[in-house]
Amino acid sequence: MKKECIAMLLAGGQGSRLYVLTSNVAKPAVPFGGKYRIIDFPLSNCTNAGIDTVGVLTQYKPLELNSYIGSGQPWDLDRLDGGVHILPPYMQEGERGSWYKGTANAIYQNIGFVDMYDPDYVVILSGDHIYKMNYAKMVEAHKAAGAACTISVLEVPWDEASRFGIMAVDGEDNIVEFQEKPKQPKSNLASMGIYVFSWKKLREYLINDEKDPNSSNDFGKNIIPNMLNAGEKMIAYRFDGYWKDVGTLESLWDANMDMLSRGDLDLLESSWPIYARLPAEPPAFIGKAALVEHSVVTQGCEVNGTVKNSVLSHGVQVEDGAEVHYSVLMPGVTVKKGAVVRYAIVGENCQIDCGARIGGDPESCDPATWGITVLGPGTVIGEGEVVAPNTMLNREHKEVRR
Amino acid sequence: MKGLHGIIFSYEKHTNLRELTANRTPASVPFAGRYRIIDFILSSMVNAGITDVGVVLHGRYQSLMDHLGSGKDWDLSRKHGGLRLLPPFAYEKSGFIREFRGRMEALAGVRSYLQGIRQSHVVMANSDLIINIPLQDVYQAHLNSGADITAVCTSNLDANAEDVNYFRLDSNGRITETLFSLRNPEGYYRSLEIYILSKQLLLDLVDECTSHDLFNFRSAVLQGKADSLHIQSYVWDGYAAQIHSVKEYYDRSVELLDPAIRREVFHPQRPVHTKERNDASTYVDPDGSCSNCIVADGCTIEGTVENSILFRGVSVARGAEVKNCVLMQDVTVDRDAVLHYVVADKNVEIMESRTLMGHDQYPMAIAKNSKV
Repeated sequence: MKKECIAMLLAGGQGSRLYVLTSNVAKPAVPFGGKYRIIDFPLSNCTNAGIDTVGVLTQYKPLELNSYIGSGQPWDLDRLDGGVHILPPYMQEGERGSWYKGTANAIYQNIGFVDMYDPDYVVILSGDHIYKMNYAKMVEAHKAAGAACTISVLEVPWDEASRFGIMAVDGEDNIVEFQEKPKQPKSNLASMGIYVFSWKKLREYLINDEKDPNSSNDFGKNIIPNMLNAGEKMIAYRFDGYWKDVGTLESLWDANMDMLSRGDLDLLESSWPIYARLPAEPPAFIGKAALVEHSVVTQGCEVNGTVKNSVLSHGVQVEDGAEVHYSVLMPGVTVKKGAVVRYAIVGENCQIDCGARIGGDPESCDPATWGITVLGPGTVIGEGEVVAPNTMLNREHKEVRR
Repeated sequence: MKGLHGIIFSYEKHTNLRELTANRTPASVPFAGRYRIIDFILSSMVNAGITDVGVVLHGRYQSLMDHLGSGKDWDLSRKHGGLRLLPPFAYEKSGFIREFRGRMEALAGVRSYLQGIRQSHVVMANSDLIINIPLQDVYQAHLNSGADITAVCTSNLDANAEDVNYFRLDSNGRITETLFSLRNPEGYYRSLEIYILSKQLLLDLVDECTSHDLFNFRSAVLQGKADSLHIQSYVWDGYAAQIHSVKEYYDRSVELLDPAIRREVFHPQRPVHTKERNDASTYVDPDGSCSNCIVADGCTIEGTVENSILFRGVSVARGAEVKNCVLMQDVTVDRDAVLHYVVADKNVEIMESRTLMGHDQYPMAIAKNSKV
């Protein structure tokens, strides 16, 4: 059946800058904020915006992501017509077919899927951003302007502009130039990697881009510049809410801390809910000797120690005398008696034995060598073991360099 | 098809739950931070591999229907079988549906449903029993013993229990005598009102009772057929609670703060399922403190909370003090309010600086949606 608008969610990236956290899962499946995984944000945004058809393009280690998405029911995306579809790369007749070569190629390979719904507009989303956004408003702006492409942008501080893809605009927010990580930025409007395209136009450009052997088949590097050069109408859609790319360990930790401070990213605020698939677990228990401050706790947690400025995901156990400071504990982590965790990201189901010390305060060592300590999912830390700040260990307990 | 079919009876009972059952049956009273009482027996059934469950409804069952919905949250939304709600059917043109006089009458009312059961056996239970029992073990014991009916009972004699059936067992565990409301039940076993029997026997009993104008399962079957049928006991001395009063509701709630009891109610292999809500994790503010509490998701704690049960979406503002309380879904406690021994129902709002004091022996219950 025809749909006015569908969404395509790019979820195939390895997320190599999250190192051990993504050694077994795709980046969008990385846990966030206690109850969620990163992909819950774009999926929930779609549902809340009334987009009921979402193609999720997967490629790297998709098993956990696939089973997490399942029928799409937690996001109300189990539909008779539409709903959520997992789209891995596939073989085609004549033994053709390949991995997704780039973001644009991923959509190109699924032109057939998009055509099934014959949409007027396609929203292209990334699976590595934390934000609440009403895509319907962006599509409205796109329609009103009669644009071929609308790119959502965020005002960033001028001195940081050279880290982003920058959109230079005219007085009516028409995009006049695109600069990828420019030394001399012409504007401070950074692309958020969220695009609305008129499907007929995009389809044309994807097919032409595929014919170009020198293209890297990427939206930012090829499709957007090609459209600009051809003089298509492209507009910037200004977004002023909370948005963060959590592609690095530091930004993932930062975003969790931002959530705690409940400023721009308030997940308890219920007008734009974020949905998640969760195991059935009893409510959290906070014991007599527990001290919990400026932190979140989730169902299935049992806290008997001290937890400050931290995020406890579901099923986390903090035993008596244990301390957790400025840390993100992913689902199923156990911190045994007397162990101390400071400034760390602890992956799913890690076990930290009695008296162990993980990470440290920025003041505790040379600022040049300080950093967040990271334990990959399933790491076991022995009794009394010390893991220094800025260290990263994988499941086999081997150190991984950044 | 081999296996068990579940039937849950959910109708009004005379209890002393006061405000808590003003708009609902005991089955849909909220319990343990994020559940309704019926979730426990329903989850026990689902965890035992039961795929088809009928819930016999009566009385103020809207709240229960709203909670159960399509059965999706218990994995019971199925093309075949799954959850079936069985509200009363007004076949006597009176337009007035009187209360069921007994279980046999309730079953007679859904006879065509019983006829359509796909499984060989049926487990019947009440919706107001809080239990996490491996029903597959009870079923296996039923098959092994070759009994006609297996009844689950306990040697824990509950002092608060009223209107309760007691069994006398012989040395093989066969039930030889069923008595009602004993003053001194020493030496008897208390029935937990969970019964397993074959579908065919159930249909035969329903037909026989209908034609003899009998409506009570106890008198017609347990007592009337003690000799002609082999009625076997299954003793379950694990956790099992039935709630008859606000005081008992309170006691049973705070009892969950004991880890040993929590482990029995929330067995890791037998998760309790409930209707999902989408709440973020609970936030505890630097000014807040929380100790010895059960806290569901979606709460905001800026005040002091001790020895309490907080349901989903509760908020406790700065300076407020909540001690020994049970605060249900979306209760708001404004600044500097003080609450001791209070059981506040859904959506209650306690205004700034109010002080509400119940007592250990008489917890104060506040009705749903009240503003204090």
